[in-house]
Amino acid sequence: MALGDRTIVSNINIGVDSRELHVLIGPNGSGKTSLLNAIMGIKPYEVVSGQVLFMDSDVTREPPYLKAKRGIAIAHQLPPVLKGIVAGKFADELVRRYGVMRIYVDTLLETLEVRYLLDRYLFDKMSGGERKRLEMFLTLLVRPKVALLDEPDSGVDIDSMEKMSRAIHVALNSGTSVVLVTHSLHMIKLLRDYIKLVHVLYGGTLILSGLYDEVVPLIEKHGFSGALSRLAGGPH
Amino acid sequence: MNRDEVLKALSKPSPYGPDVDLSRFDIGSSTPESVDERSVERITDRLGISGQVFRRVDYLQVNESVVAKAMSEKLVKHGAVVLPTREALRKLNWVSAYSWKLIEPTIDKYTAASYLYGRESGFFIYVPPGIKIMEPIYTCLFITKKNYAQLLHNIVVVDEGAELNLVTGCGVPDQPTKSLHVGVSEFYVGRGGKLTYTMIHAWAPEMVVRPRTAVEVLGGGEYVSYYVIYSPVESLQTYPRVYLRDRAKATLNSVVVGTGNSIYDVGSSVILKGGESSGEILSRNLSKGSSVIYARSRIEGAIGPSRGHIECLGLIDGPSAVIESLPEISSSTPEAVLTHEAAIGKISEEQLSYLMSKGFTEEEARAAIIKGFLSIEEPRLPHQVMEIVKRTIEYIASRATG
Repeated sequence: MALGDRTIVSNINIGVDSRELHVLIGPNGSGKTSLLNAIMGIKPYEVVSGQVLFMDSDVTREPPYLKAKRGIAIAHQLPPVLKGIVAGKFADELVRRYGVMRIYVDTLLETLEVRYLLDRYLFDKMSGGERKRLEMFLTLLVRPKVALLDEPDSGVDIDSMEKMSRAIHVALNSGTSVVLVTHSLHMIKLLRDYIKLVHVLYGGTLILSGLYDEVVPLIEKHGFSGALSRLAGGPH
Repeated sequence: MNRDEVLKALSKPSPYGPDVDLSRFDIGSSTPESVDERSVERITDRLGISGQVFRRVDYLQVNESVVAKAMSEKLVKHGAVVLPTREALRKLNWVSAYSWKLIEPTIDKYTAASYLYGRESGFFIYVPPGIKIMEPIYTCLFITKKNYAQLLHNIVVVDEGAELNLVTGCGVPDQPTKSLHVGVSEFYVGRGGKLTYTMIHAWAPEMVVRPRTAVEVLGGGEYVSYYVIYSPVESLQTYPRVYLRDRAKATLNSVVVGTGNSIYDVGSSVILKGGESSGEILSRNLSKGSSVIYARSRIEGAIGPSRGHIECLGLIDGPSAVIESLPEISSSTPEAVLTHEAAIGKISEEQLSYLMSKGFTEEEARAAIIKGFLSIEEPRLPHQVMEIVKRTIEYIASRATG
């Protein structure tokens, strides 16, 4: 995966089945956000070799809106302010396009506690936690087949993290698979019981994939670079 | 008024906008005409008030002919006075106290031409003290003739504690008419009164448009305007002035969408002449094609305490499009708090990417961004009027991406 002439991420092979939660962790600059953007087809990120396969179809070159229609959704790490677009009306438009049941929408609204944000312009004059929760709401709202969540926990308080963890649980129960990107371990701990695998990205390469108990204690004890030197032999 | 001075002003250009040779237009003639209803329907379609035109519009003037006057019945039942300006000046002595008082005929060649040759064509409305007419009044001023000069003089007086919500659509059929529109409007809002004035313009290439508007708002009164222009023109220049007395408020909203090779010189100014008065100017400017938009705004703080704010935003969507934003704040008292913000940019790739990742095609995403950019919420306008404005903005956004 490249940004211009520069290769950002290489040698990644992750398979996600239905209703699974996979966590992708790594230090700042390890390529986590770039990887999600490349999967979604967001410019200027580009997959230069390999494939993005979705339900047996090669969607590598598809533009983001077609991927979204297939059921791939992304929660952006820093969603842009869109003045003039009212959050509630935007949510209604997504509900209309994707034909979502109202009860599911209400469940997410209550879980994430974002109902009071619906009369505001998208992400305008919102705190970090409000922006993250609203973006997660708009992402999970469409009941995607797979949700790519890019650091929903960065810069937010513990209360917001707990609300978002509950929302991920709701999404998993409704049939959504989730790929959660983070560089903190707190939210991972909140979701521990639902995690299928934890993947560690370091320097643009996958250095480790394993169960929660195999990976998280190692990272906690030695940090990312310490874990890498201990692994010496490459991805496990 | 010294007629010789006004005659001299016929050669006086406006300080703003391109100068126009008035001899291009048939000024002062008064030939009888028949009104082509299909042309009228085409214009109302473009103004977002399509269908049942004669039932919906309360006052319709085509060229010089007044076609529909339901406005009179609607307003008179509330005790208001509604007359053609010429008739009002002839029948009611006191009306002259409001005529050519806020706008001097000698300001420039357009006001001079209106004064000398306009024969006081236009409408006069007086709303007596305490009468609140909440139902919006729709007026339309159309041009269907070529090389024609439509010279109008409208006077609106909303007396103490009264309220009026006026909507004016001005336009031509969707084809070049090479005509001139000068609308001189003098609005007076009495103490504690309120006037909302929404104006939507749908002109065509080769049209020259020079509205001249001035408003006086007395103590505790309020004036809200919402102006939308989205059609091509040869040139359009306007710079309304609003004078606010003690505790008076004004909000001037404008949405200018430039297309073709048109030149739009659109300003708004508020003069804070009373203590605790406040004014706000909000403008959204979208320049497409090779259009040029001059977005002027000025707030003068003459007395304090008073407040004023200008927000002027521009979006350039074309390699030859130009926006020049000229916000000015001027104060002669330390107690006036005046602020402004101005920004010009292009449609953000980040915003496009975001919406596309939510399932919008690029075209849908662009339309949504443009619609959001142009939308200025104005809760002080009646709901029905805001719906017309929103429909117009939606129409603009859907065409802006084509």
